[in-house]
Amino acid sequence: MTAIRITRAGPLCTVQDVGRPGMLQHGVSASGPMDAAAFARAGAWMGEAGSTGVEFTASGISLAVEGGTIGLGVDGGDFALSVNGADRSWPARVMLRERDTVEIRPGAWGNYGFLRFNRELDLPMVMGSRATNSVARLGGLEGRALRAGDVLSFTGDAIRSGMGGHPRAVPQPAGPIRVIWGLHADQFTPRARERFVAEGFAVSSRLDRMGARLADPAGVFAGLPMLSLVSDAIVPGDIQILGDGTPIVLLRDHQPTGGYPRVATVISADLDRFAQMRPGAEVRFEPVTLARAHAILSGSTP
Amino acid sequence: MRAPTKPLGLPLILPLGDSGLMVRFGATLSDDANRAAIASARRLRDGPPAGVTEIVPNLVSVLLKYDPKRVSFEALAGEVRLRLGEVGGEQTETATHRVAVTFDGEDVSAVAAALKLSPEAFVAAHCASPLRVLATGFAPGFVYCGFHPEALASPRRTEVRAMVPAGTVLFAARQTAIASTPIPTGWHVIGHTDFSNFEPAEEPPTRLGAGDRIVFEAVS
Repeated sequence: MTAIRITRAGPLCTVQDVGRPGMLQHGVSASGPMDAAAFARAGAWMGEAGSTGVEFTASGISLAVEGGTIGLGVDGGDFALSVNGADRSWPARVMLRERDTVEIRPGAWGNYGFLRFNRELDLPMVMGSRATNSVARLGGLEGRALRAGDVLSFTGDAIRSGMGGHPRAVPQPAGPIRVIWGLHADQFTPRARERFVAEGFAVSSRLDRMGARLADPAGVFAGLPMLSLVSDAIVPGDIQILGDGTPIVLLRDHQPTGGYPRVATVISADLDRFAQMRPGAEVRFEPVTLARAHAILSGSTP
Repeated sequence: MRAPTKPLGLPLILPLGDSGLMVRFGATLSDDANRAAIASARRLRDGPPAGVTEIVPNLVSVLLKYDPKRVSFEALAGEVRLRLGEVGGEQTETATHRVAVTFDGEDVSAVAAALKLSPEAFVAAHCASPLRVLATGFAPGFVYCGFHPEALASPRRTEVRAMVPAGTVLFAARQTAIASTPIPTGWHVIGHTDFSNFEPAEEPPTRLGAGDRIVFEAVS
């Protein structure tokens, strides 16, 4: 049986596929890769990959191959890859044989990277997906993060496909994070909204698949009166202000509903880029119109 | 039958991010706004507008997730207005579920005392009338049920409990809620139930839907 054995895993490495949309009424958000574009690229380097891969976090992951041959595509933020101790370029497509070892170490930027395989992982579908939901604790491997010693086996034969394109690194993304004003923007004072745009925030060390808390050194949201709001639907990218004034950007494993005020929502096209920003990175927000967000998403404007 | 009340007027239609459209029937929780949200979600689900990928009723709103590559926000908003017209506080109950509850929660005595009732009288009053599922979605299988009469109004606790187990029955703000997974909560813990509303291997994974009628039954 062909499998990979995880020999080292940073915190919160999980099995992911494109996610589990359509389950909000059951109280389950869609999950899926924190950097959906990088997940797709890692698969594209294989030509065609199994639907399900592994998302690893900033400190990387190491694994050993058991049983047979595996085609592996890797991409994400910037990481350092070695196979059997020999350095390889990043991102990459590699053919692995039994007993080969793969080590991925942190590089210059990014929080997340992805392993995609030319085989399908032998894991059960839960509510239509194999994605791990770290909040509901379902999907993936027993609904939990991967750890050293876990063995992920593959089902059936390798996918026959032509090679994908030559793996090429994407530049480190930069620039402000574009947002559209949020559900409760009109309940913040004009001054708070102005300062939300004018001041810089920073990604804090409290980030996970649910969301990333921001440091607010200028105190934009400090001491604002607590609003009493009826709990309402949340979408990925919503920027919610907690009772103590802490802004938090809600991400792929967000709670489906919430009662804290939301000042703005990160546009879909910038969600991957935001998720890759490391703790300490400065974040600036730039409001755009809905029309502009849609134009960016369709690729008709940068 | 509950008589239809006066229409709430046109709902507010607003974007939630660049792939969400929210239809909101009020800024505060009311019976009418909740009934309108549930009825509207049903009407929209009967024939989802083109480009819509998910329709979810919430306490006072409906979220439509859409693919902006397939439909514009303006076109979708127009389509939603056309389909909803003026939705009033309609009769929304469909299925009826009986939920057996053991009222042994650690806050029962305090809640009853604050309402100037004995614990037995509180339990009897709690179960006297059927409730509606007001909304799902806060956590897997979680449901808000309401509304209890004004005489049972009880504010939330000032302290949040870090985690209560699946099956915990919660009480606050004229509502009873059922936790189907472990959650943190600022609501009063009044009991527990064996009724499980989250089975990820089942299709559908939850049994209780917004608008369903809930009859709570006290068991020892």
